[in-house]
Amino acid sequence: MARSCDLRLSARSDPRLLGSIRSLVRGWVEAFGLAPDRTDEVVLAIDEACSNAIRHSYRGRCDRALELNLRTAGEFLEFEVCDHGQPCPPEHVSRRDLHTPTLADLKPGGLGVQLIYVVFDEVEFRPGKTRGNRVIMRLRRPERAEG
Amino acid sequence: MALDLDRSVTDDRVQIAVSGEVDLYTSPELRSAILEAVETADSEVVVDLAGVKYMDSSGVATLVEGLRSAHQHDKIFKLVAPSPQVTKVLELTRLDSVFEIEPTA
Repeated sequence: MARSCDLRLSARSDPRLLGSIRSLVRGWVEAFGLAPDRTDEVVLAIDEACSNAIRHSYRGRCDRALELNLRTAGEFLEFEVCDHGQPCPPEHVSRRDLHTPTLADLKPGGLGVQLIYVVFDEVEFRPGKTRGNRVIMRLRRPERAEG
Repeated sequence: MALDLDRSVTDDRVQIAVSGEVDLYTSPELRSAILEAVETADSEVVVDLAGVKYMDSSGVATLVEGLRSAHQHDKIFKLVAPSPQVTKVLELTRLDSVFEIEPTA
């Protein structure tokens, strides 16, 4: 069980690739026996992290580098999305209370970040090693009974 | 899988049947269709989501924009038959109570 099962993906920051990235993440996660609805949530949240990198860090540019690392880390499955674009202002990635909004105070932007917080057990938004951003998301691995 | 939009007009309503996947790549197409429908419908815009296999927050934001625009134009904006995945995303974003949703078409 201690064997690592890591997967690393380099992709262009092209929204056309998001469907392929989702398929890959789904396949990787399914190997760990996550419940189907949790698998859907994880796929969605990783897609949100990649979309945010494309939209915000790269301002929609399709020809930049996006890196995805999927790792087993002790009791966690760890997902890392890295870009080399504009540093993300901390206030854009802080956790907000998702109260039930009314139409008047609805701000669609930032929904993706809040989804990431809701889905994962641990979330870190960090600066990239040289530049850009890293989002590290951890999910507690299911008990054997779940798989 | 791409996005497929099927637009139909009956009396005072414009209906858009959406199928496929709504993500950062495809949501601009949905956005244009919805905003156009809000402009042209006499009184009501219905977005049928039964065929949607996947929707992310850019899709949800698109629906919010449609709802906002409909309110500004004094028109009704309804979601119909959201698939389980769409329902899940609306719940996760706490936006399920903001929309008028009919469970079946």
